[in-house]
Amino acid sequence: MSDWSRLDPRMLLVHPVRDLVKFLPALVGIVVFGRSSEGGGWWGVAGVGIPILLGLARYLTTTYRITAGRIEVRHALLNRRVLSAPLDRVRTVDLTASPIQRLLGLVTVRIGTGQTAGHGEERLALDGLSVAAATALRERLLHVTTPADTTSAPTTGGPRVVLTLDLAWVRFAPLTSAGIVIAGAALGAAAQTIRTLELTPSVDLDPLAHLGLALLVVGGVIGVLVTICVLAVVGYLVTNFGFQLSHTATDGSWHLRRGLFTTRETSLDDARVSGVSIGEPLALRLAGGARLSAIVTGLDRKQQGSSVLVPPAPRAEVDRVAGDVLGTSRPVTALLVEHGPRARRRRWIRALFPATALALAALLTAYAVAWELPFVAVVAVLLVAGAVLLARDRAGGLGHALVDDHLVARSGSLDRRREVLHTPSVIGWNLRATWFQRRVGLTDLVATTAGGRQRVRVLDVDEAAATLLAVRATPSLLDQFLA
Amino acid sequence: MSRPEAVRLRAPLERVSPRARLMWTCTDLLRCVPPMALLLLGDGPWDWFDLPTWSLVGVGVLFAAYGVLVPQWRYLVHRWEVTETAVYTQTGWWARERRIAPMSRVQTVDHREGAISRLFGLATVRVTTASSAGALSIEGLDRDRALVIVDELTRMADSVPGDAT
Repeated sequence: MSDWSRLDPRMLLVHPVRDLVKFLPALVGIVVFGRSSEGGGWWGVAGVGIPILLGLARYLTTTYRITAGRIEVRHALLNRRVLSAPLDRVRTVDLTASPIQRLLGLVTVRIGTGQTAGHGEERLALDGLSVAAATALRERLLHVTTPADTTSAPTTGGPRVVLTLDLAWVRFAPLTSAGIVIAGAALGAAAQTIRTLELTPSVDLDPLAHLGLALLVVGGVIGVLVTICVLAVVGYLVTNFGFQLSHTATDGSWHLRRGLFTTRETSLDDARVSGVSIGEPLALRLAGGARLSAIVTGLDRKQQGSSVLVPPAPRAEVDRVAGDVLGTSRPVTALLVEHGPRARRRRWIRALFPATALALAALLTAYAVAWELPFVAVVAVLLVAGAVLLARDRAGGLGHALVDDHLVARSGSLDRRREVLHTPSVIGWNLRATWFQRRVGLTDLVATTAGGRQRVRVLDVDEAAATLLAVRATPSLLDQFLA
Repeated sequence: MSRPEAVRLRAPLERVSPRARLMWTCTDLLRCVPPMALLLLGDGPWDWFDLPTWSLVGVGVLFAAYGVLVPQWRYLVHRWEVTETAVYTQTGWWARERRIAPMSRVQTVDHREGAISRLFGLATVRVTTASSAGALSIEGLDRDRALVIVDELTRMADSVPGDAT
């Protein structure tokens, strides 16, 4: 494949439609303007012709090839530029297909190389390959990174399906923040539209007036909650419908397919999966759910969409998949070493001190200006009670372990995560201790890594235990710095 | 929790240049100038608020103490060490941070001289790894010393094959 290959000609049907949409405001103008003046027909021809010409030009000028261990993509529409990356730097290959593309059997290929230097630059993308060509390209891209292990592979060849979506899991959707995010975005878009179109929505409040304030507030809250839940469920289905995670032993990679309208197929190179992160935010945890993402070397948080392994699902499923991905389930199930009373006390103080201070300040202010003291008192009590619950949960969540060459760390409450990192992927250690922490002999131990959140943090651990953990995780690195 | 055998990290061996204290005093005091000016101008000529003189004096004393004492404290904490296999730094004052990066994971080595550090003939050496959470920097090194360290680090990091992830 050392010759330059082109995109699939069928993309010529996709691009004009998309360009037409992009040109829509201009087209509307053209049509209106064109009608009212002479020679309007020419404007119409230009309006349809330009997008088609642009698409044709893009088809003729975009080429790609694999040569000398590099993938090169060449665009030459106006500015000639060649994007290229060494094949052994390819971390992920994403195949996405919008509804129009699906109709025509096309996909967009995105190649994730995860170069830190590549921020803000374009990722390698080929918009419009046939499914067959894209699959072949993906195999070539991922094959080179891990030479086929013919001795240990069970030679079944076909992908082994590890997880398929159970529609019952949609019950976890309202427990994530997704609904709020979608609702916020929708609200923003609606407000923008209303302002742009200078609409003045008139709401007739008279029929509501006789309902009374309490009923209105309760009704409003219920309405908002129901909307958020519905949006979360719809969002979950749109993104995760048909979710399937599978592993192919032949080219050593994980494949993940999902999406209701736009389908997305992500392939992760085995050798680049350096750990997993089990997210168990409070609401999801109380309902017995969790979610799983991979820590992929070279992919940071901005590209996190490429590293989801399990959407919100029952904890047992998440644990099973995590064990499968890591090759050992012990880091997932092992009991964690607790951090002791000093660490727990720190969690308590850090949660209670600000909450109590705020509550007292509010009470004093309310007393001083003689304003609704009982109401403020109730709020203050609720605030402190919330802080107590939070502190309890955060203190109980602290833990770490070193099992089967995997560093395990857990912390947090509202956004609790259990992170598991393969120790060869640890590329540095940070030990941070404030004066308060040093006074009681605690420190935060951070293992830095080139994937995911870039770090796995063991919070408030005994200084000697932290040092021992780091020494055991990366033998011979720290020995020279021991006292 | 059972007390593990007493393994303790020692501090890195080398201190930064003693001139770094003066540089930090300058930068810290400069940082105090805008809020102090705002307080004085707001209280006096612009007449935004009316503060008692003792409170202004108090704030001034606090700022001065910050500019004089914190650099000394920082100088006591800031240390560094480069060995054949690793880089080890210790920075901070209130929060002390020790960072260790294996030489085999070093990606770039930078030499930086800010405007103020140039006045004092000082430089910063910054070592990055593939993790955005793992950059090490040694502030307040003598400029010539910094250049030597950069050369040495670059040579050692280059001698290790692989893409350092």
